[in-house]
Amino acid sequence: MATEEKVRKKKIGTYQVVQIILGVLFGGYLAWRLYEILIANPVYGPDTWLRFAIAGIILGSVYALVAIGYTLVYGILHMINFAHGDIMMIGAFGGYFVFEGLKSIPAPTAADPGLNFLNAYPVISVILAFVVGVSVAALSGYFLERIAYRPLRSAPRLVPLISAIGASIFLENAAMLMFGAQRRDFTNPTVLTRGDGWELPVGGGTVILTYTGVLTFVLSIVILVLLYLLVQRTRMGRAMRAVAENKNVAALMGINVDGIISRTFILSGALAGAAGVMWGIHLGLVYYFLGFIPGIKAFTAAVLGGIGNLPGAMLGGLFLGAVEALGPAVLGIDFQLKDVLAFGILILVLIFRPTGILGEVLSEEKV
Amino acid sequence: MKPQIKSSLNAGLTFGIVTLFLYLIGFTTTASQIIQNLLKLEPESKVLGMDALPFSFALFLGLIGLWAGARQARAMHKGQSVGVVLGSAVLTGLVHGLIVALVAYVTGSLNASGVKLNTYLSQLLPASVQLFLFDQPPATGAFLQLGFLTLTSFLGGALVYGLMASDIFGRLAAAWRSLWSRVNDLPAVAKFRASPAFNYVAYGLAAVFLLLLPLRAGQYWNYTLGTVGIYVLLGLGLNIVVGLAGLLNLGYVAFFAIGAYTVSLLTAPSPHGLVWDFWLVLPIGILAATLVGILLVVPVLRMRGDYLAIVTLGFGEIIRILSKSDALTWLTGGPKGVNNVGGPALFGRTFDDVGYLYLIFLSVLLAIFVTRRLQNSRVGRAWESMREDETVSRAMGINILRHKVLAFAIGAAFAGLGGVLFAARNQFTGPEDHNMMVSINVLSAVIVGGMGSIPGVIAGAFVLKGLPEILRELENYRVLAFAALLVVMMLVRPSGILPASRRKFEFQSGDESSNRGGEGSAK
Repeated sequence: MATEEKVRKKKIGTYQVVQIILGVLFGGYLAWRLYEILIANPVYGPDTWLRFAIAGIILGSVYALVAIGYTLVYGILHMINFAHGDIMMIGAFGGYFVFEGLKSIPAPTAADPGLNFLNAYPVISVILAFVVGVSVAALSGYFLERIAYRPLRSAPRLVPLISAIGASIFLENAAMLMFGAQRRDFTNPTVLTRGDGWELPVGGGTVILTYTGVLTFVLSIVILVLLYLLVQRTRMGRAMRAVAENKNVAALMGINVDGIISRTFILSGALAGAAGVMWGIHLGLVYYFLGFIPGIKAFTAAVLGGIGNLPGAMLGGLFLGAVEALGPAVLGIDFQLKDVLAFGILILVLIFRPTGILGEVLSEEKV
Repeated sequence: MKPQIKSSLNAGLTFGIVTLFLYLIGFTTTASQIIQNLLKLEPESKVLGMDALPFSFALFLGLIGLWAGARQARAMHKGQSVGVVLGSAVLTGLVHGLIVALVAYVTGSLNASGVKLNTYLSQLLPASVQLFLFDQPPATGAFLQLGFLTLTSFLGGALVYGLMASDIFGRLAAAWRSLWSRVNDLPAVAKFRASPAFNYVAYGLAAVFLLLLPLRAGQYWNYTLGTVGIYVLLGLGLNIVVGLAGLLNLGYVAFFAIGAYTVSLLTAPSPHGLVWDFWLVLPIGILAATLVGILLVVPVLRMRGDYLAIVTLGFGEIIRILSKSDALTWLTGGPKGVNNVGGPALFGRTFDDVGYLYLIFLSVLLAIFVTRRLQNSRVGRAWESMREDETVSRAMGINILRHKVLAFAIGAAFAGLGGVLFAARNQFTGPEDHNMMVSINVLSAVIVGGMGSIPGVIAGAFVLKGLPEILRELENYRVLAFAALLVVMMLVRPSGILPASRRKFEFQSGDESSNRGGEGSAK
């Protein structure tokens, strides 16, 4: 008995020692950098910091939308929907084609005979872009589940993951063949010209709060709140939570499990579609590979917040966006390396707190 | 609505979408050209009053129509009368034709009125749109398509009905089975298969084949075979990690990159000016990859499943981003990569393509040997039990941590060797050689071939890297086809082409293991 105790203690000990050493090193470096950059040798003024923070939070709100999609699916099926980022790409293309189509419809007025529909009715255009982008993405989410995942419901865990990877590559290449490999400019209505915005004077400089950025941020927050209410307050949300808890018992309670899973995919596809249209409006480029990196980052965000946990995914997304924008400046590394930072954070979080920031302690079976 | 009608409508809709998808990705044009080449038709010649290319296209479309009708008839066949079966085939064809004709008409008229469709849909060049309408005006072409698809669908249905009614396939299959078992049961054959001589003859033939192949194949095929060989090597390494130890690693390319960069930086004249001998660098590269493998796995040892997958994926990306970042250009050569990587020499002669191919074959044989010995050893059994159930194997006294580290280290060593060979053969390495697609390709090779099975990995590498080289004409579509193959493979045969015997059993019993309770997909 005594020897067993000893062995147990020793094992945990080594792991904790590794954790502590890594933690002290990282914490020390962070503290030193903060001292260096804020007090000893300030490179950036407050306006620059604010600019970074705003950019980070806007990007983070898009990550949050995509991350929710991962979390919803993971919560119910315990699988990584690898093709989720590509659904976002499909949504972005939907919005792009709506804008392009509206641009070619003339809507001349007395003042401006050359006016087109896009600039004459910008609000309707943006709403149309979101409606189309979201519907196309939701539809793809539905078919993705029906074709590539549903038949594999009872297969070992690796099988649906591989199928998801295949679906992801398929969607990317299909988009490349159909729409071409080049990057396309996402033409906004002139009201929403990228870079235009409210100018705020801050500490000796001006910070521009762009219209596209504000639209993106406000819209994502609204969608996130609506989604939270949907999951917590409605009958469908309750059914979703029940299926996530235990499929068999949920089925016994009269819940149509397949239907709920389909709806989950439609919902997560819709969120990704909205994120895609925002991505296009705010960042301005659409191409077939657009969803891949945000997809991986959003998954990182979902894990950061604790996968399966809705507020966690939102928090994780915002946190990751902020880290990406502020991190390189704080740590004094090249801005090219922001992706390294994002993945590095993921690894650190998984080492120190594998359940994520807000994650429940999952049973070993679930993890 | 009657179920027969609903099913026909569904089938017609599905086939309509498939045909339109092929149209949108430009496959209809490519396929028509391939058919034209296969039939050795001159572009100007006329067949049945049609130009050669539209005729080839009609053949292609006809095949799809036949398939649609045949499929629907087969689905309907049980317990239905002739009229219902053929009627549903015709209905399928009508729906299929309507969808296709509608889009053909719209795109055709837009094209005729001078709209450049290919600014948005890059494959819809005017010629392709015209071809899709059999080179007719939009209205005529659309009606032709509707009629043609309905007709071929009817023919397909009739064909299948005839075949099913006479049960030709059932009889053929039975005949083949009885013939095969009779040959196998012959005493001489059975004895020969059981005797060691069978193995010797098989290995001997394989060895002679491998020795002669590089001399006869020519430079291009040597290069392709070399790439396949390196993928076999990588696949065997990943097979240990994923197939035997059950640790999903999506960042396998990181170790490949470490091997490639080690050999490049130590033998290339720039950026470091170290021009060491290849044979000296080879073990260093393998060792470096192994060390990194151990360093990576130690902090993530306690994770499993999807978390491990995503951490390794992140790690692979970190290595790639670091290797191309400006901050590390002094060390790695930056985005441009490293040129003039040194190669091996024996007796004063540098290796040509034949030499490299022999070297790769040798490495693959070594890897196969190592894998086989490991698989059947105590360590291999420990890995497999760990894969099946970690808790139970810990209770059985297996040191989980040590075996995980071992699996990662050996997998990394194989990848390091692959990287060294790859960089030396190409005389170049750069960040884009090491993107995530390499990891995914290798993983796909392992899974398509059959996890945990050595012949499976070899078959998988050939399917994924060899077949595309043979099907050069379909170059644009090969990644698409391979992605579709991954999904289809998982749907119809998740255990792979040549599954390992133990794995096969596990995949087949998948249904039972999922009924244990709420965590349906726990393993």
